[in-house]
This record gives sequence, C-alpha cells and structure tokens, in this order.
Amino acid sequence: MKTPILVGDSVTLSLGGRTILDSAYADAVPGAITALVGRSGCGKTTFFKVLVGERMPDCGQVRWRGMRLPRPRLSDLARDGLFYHPDRAWLARHLSFNDHIALCPHEDWTSVVDVFGIGGWVGQQVGRLSEGELRLTELAFGFAMRPAVAVLDEPFRGLEPLHREQVGRGLRELADRGAAILYADHDVESVRRTADRLFSMENGMTRMVEGFKTRPLHEWYHAWPR
Amino acid sequence: MDTTRRRERTEIQAHVSFEAWLKSALFLSYVRRFVLLWIAGKIANAATAGFVGVPPFSFRAGTELVILVFELGALVAFIKRDNEDILLGNLGLRLAAALAPLVAVHVTLSAALALLAR
Repeated sequence: MKTPILVGDSVTLSLGGRTILDSAYADAVPGAITALVGRSGCGKTTFFKVLVGERMPDCGQVRWRGMRLPRPRLSDLARDGLFYHPDRAWLARHLSFNDHIALCPHEDWTSVVDVFGIGGWVGQQVGRLSEGELRLTELAFGFAMRPAVAVLDEPFRGLEPLHREQVGRGLRELADRGAAILYADHDVESVRRTADRLFSMENGMTRMVEGFKTRPLHEWYHAWPR
Repeated sequence: MDTTRRRERTEIQAHVSFEAWLKSALFLSYVRRFVLLWIAGKIANAATAGFVGVPPFSFRAGTELVILVFELGALVAFIKRDNEDILLGNLGLRLAAALAPLVAVHVTLSAALALLAR
C-alpha cells in the first residue's frame, strides 16, 4: 500500500455541546479512489472541512505529504496539488467555464470537457446551468487543474444516471494518473461500483471496511456496535 | 532564498500567475464591484464631510483607510456569500493577496477625484 498523501487522524470536533467528529480517521492514497460513506448528518462534510482548513478540530491532526499541518489552508494545499469540491456551488456564477479555465495554466484541459460531456455549455454563465450541469462543470474545472489529491464532498449528488457515469469515469481517469481521491457519498451501491477503499462513518466515528464490494451490505453498513 | 522557498515560489507561479490573475475575468468582475462600492463610499463620505464642514472630495488618509476597510469588508462578504473563496482557494490564491491590488484602485480613484475637485 502506498503512503497516504492526505490524512485526517483522530479528528475530534464538538459544536454547541454536540460531538460531530469523534476520533475520526480517513486518508487518501495515490492511485486509489477512497470513499467515506455514511448517513446524512454523520459528520462527513465537517470532516472534509477540517481536512482543508475550513474548520479547526478540537484535537487530532491533519497530515499532508507526511507533515503535520497545525493550520491547514486551502490555498496553500491547492498550490501543492489539492482540489476541494465542497457540497455547495462554488464557481463564480457570472462567469463561464471558459472564463474559469483561462486562469488554469495547463493546456490539456480539453479532455476533461469530453470526459464530463460539458462541451455544450462551456461558454455559458455557470449561474444559468441546471444543478447537475453545474456540478459536472465544477468537477471538470477541478480535474482540469490536474490535482494530486481530490477531496470531493458528494460529487454524485443531484446527477442523473448518465452524468453519474461520467463523473465515475472522471474519477477513475484521475486515479489512474496517480491522483489520490477521497470522496463522500451515502449511496452504498454507487460506492461499491466506484471506490477502491472505503471508510464508513457513523456518529462522527470512522472505521475502514474491507471486502465491501462483495460482503453483504448488512455486515458492514450501519452495523456498528452499540 | 533557500531551495525549498525557491521551489515553493515556482509552484505558486506555476499555479496561477499574478499577471494571469490581474487579467482574469474574475478579477475584473471584482474591480467592477469594488468601483461601485467605492462610489457608495465616496457619496457617504461626501455627505458626512459636508455635515462637518470639510471639503467633500479631498484626500484624507485616515478617512480613506476607513472607507477602504468597509469596501474590502463588503466585497469579502459578497465573495464568501457566493462561496467564491473556495474558488480562489482552489486556484491557490489567498483572499488577501487576490484582493490586494484593489488597494491601489482605491487610492488612484480617490486621489484622481481629489485632484479634479480642487
């Protein structure tokens, strides 16, 4: 197993007296798609926010390329190869995909347009796109930056089956190029098809699940000891 | 500059260069919004200046600094409301660094207006 590039280790966070994350652990390994699966509200989004520095944990640590980051910052991580796709729209609504990509120094971005099938609206303001089209455009833009690590919060949300397939293909292509992908989802069947590694989260706690592609669902999903 | 710092700087430039940022449609959209905020700030400043009996469009460093802070604060609020701080982060740009050129825009506009109003 390769060394993880990004690690959230023993991350604990309480908000308003409620424990959101309880010694949570997950990592992203080069060349693999790692999924973090769990019910809505179990802490996946908060965990990702801690990884990219949007929230500071009460305790625990984030490690990037083996180094502990006391205060992770998205811009610093992005300069070193991280792409973060949050659960909310984040592209500038008044600009088009082409306007965004003009900021991206890599020339070979046309392939992501094909992979994600967004050629029909690359010149259109992203604020006028449907939710599914917008999600695809955001992911295509992120993947065009050729990230070494992608942290994706529910990349399949709001997508129709064809678009889900395109995103799955995009994830695989990125992983095949050696990128480490960590994404959150609550659709276990989709995770079985897409992911290589899996962490399951419940009540802010995580555990790694082996054999999730073949083992019956009830053996590992929502089967936490009470 | 040691090797690590030099490598870091190269990586920063390889991500989004300062020149590319200044020419980008996103930065230009921030300039447009900022100019509207500057106009609003100047109108408010002129009104209060008239009230206390000082020239409305003269360049007073302390006042300009206060207006600038309000303008940048409002712009940052708009940017965060639209989650564009995530976009800037993904581009490797710190919010403060990305908006720093707007300080020059404010100073230039205010100084030009003060000269014209003499």
